[in-house]
Amino acid sequence: MTTAITWAGAICTIAIYSFLWKENRLFRAFQNLYVGLAAGYGIILAVRIVQRQVWNPLTTKGDYSVLIPTILGILLYARFSKKWAWVARLPMAFLMGIGAALSMKAIESDFVRQIQATLIPWNSFNNIIVVFGTILSLSYFFFTLKPRPALDNMARVGRWVLMVSFGAAFGNAVQGRLSLLIAQMQFMLRDWLHLIK
Amino acid sequence: MRALKKFAEVDRRYLYLLLLIVVIVPLVKPLGIPIDVSSSTMKFVNAVDSLQPGDRMLLVFDYSIGGGPDVDPQAQVVMAHALSKGAKVVCVAFVDTGLQYATKAIEFWEKRGKVYGEDMINLGYAAGAETAVSAFAQDIRAVFPTDVRGKRLDEYPIMQGIKNAGDFKLIAEFATGIPGPAEWIRQVQTRYKVPLACGVVAVMGPQNEPYLQSGQLVGLLGGGLKSAAEYEIAVKMPGAATAAMDAQSLGHVAIVLFVILGNIVFIIEKSEEKSKKPTRK
Repeated sequence: MTTAITWAGAICTIAIYSFLWKENRLFRAFQNLYVGLAAGYGIILAVRIVQRQVWNPLTTKGDYSVLIPTILGILLYARFSKKWAWVARLPMAFLMGIGAALSMKAIESDFVRQIQATLIPWNSFNNIIVVFGTILSLSYFFFTLKPRPALDNMARVGRWVLMVSFGAAFGNAVQGRLSLLIAQMQFMLRDWLHLIK
Repeated sequence: MRALKKFAEVDRRYLYLLLLIVVIVPLVKPLGIPIDVSSSTMKFVNAVDSLQPGDRMLLVFDYSIGGGPDVDPQAQVVMAHALSKGAKVVCVAFVDTGLQYATKAIEFWEKRGKVYGEDMINLGYAAGAETAVSAFAQDIRAVFPTDVRGKRLDEYPIMQGIKNAGDFKLIAEFATGIPGPAEWIRQVQTRYKVPLACGVVAVMGPQNEPYLQSGQLVGLLGGGLKSAAEYEIAVKMPGAATAAMDAQSLGHVAIVLFVILGNIVFIIEKSEEKSKKPTRK
């Protein structure tokens, strides 16, 4: 049986895809509806988080330490006042500090481990591609050395390696977009029109 | 030649229509194009296969509505596989819309006889992206004192003995952006040495391959819907992703043809422009 929610989903799908024909009022109305729903959903979640992380510990346990991050969070909104905008820099600095500290872990995960992973025996075509592809790609980003023919040639090949990886990413992006269309068509044909199982 | 040039002038809406037909026809009449399972998918399958009955697995729904059709089939089949092995699944989200997918998955399995709180649980959503992931990994109850149903975690048998991320046998993270594999490797895998497998939206696949090669990931579903189909085939649980593969293959053929034809027309027009330019004598 086709439910009201399925009908609503089907109408939304048609309205959004109508943009492909041309820009129209129906599309704009549903686009605004989508933005509104997303904002409403975000606000409800935010309220629930404040309730769980701030209100409950404060009222049931008397845990006043939760007030510190709450006040810092509220101070972020000071940027909307010209007079008090500078106050927002305090929590922002705090956030920057946390961000920097958390990023330090990347030294091991993204730097040391990735270098280790490149130190592999040249006993297969794949391994050779990994080792030389990495060196050639990095050579493209040497800006501190004077241009020399050997380095220039390495950088040129490195650029090709980079372009191949961009091509792979683009191919996957196309694949992903097609998946969105297929999933929506499956919904329309299966749940709405009952043409497929 | 003239026909090719006409192709360049075709209203793009006809191309959309053609693509729509190419996608719809194989969905209605499947062709059965064979699907090969890649080694990165097999590694993921093996990681879930190695779970013993009673082992706890963390399933992270870090994906948005926009990337959901690409990643959700991956999460669904991995959850089905883990539950079929007798493993217990703890669901959590660090992307707001991920909570909806987690709730849907839990409801689906509750209707099929799995017991909430024993076989699976939904902790809910925590804001803060990488910071929240780091805090969660350190002390789960500090971020989630209760689950989405409002009960304390200690009241559920599934959460007994689980204090931090290191207490899980496997973490399966599904992402469409941030937090994603890089953040989970940085904040969780590197510190707690817990096996981490990831499923990502297709566009993120290539950039996460190095983590699989370095052993920081024990499995990677990097091809979006295609990886989900590979997983379904590998564990003999064909579902929506497998059914979509014919449409995906034919859609790719159509797009590749458009790209080739477009480039041929571009080259012809460029060479014609060159020949029209007056030459100096």
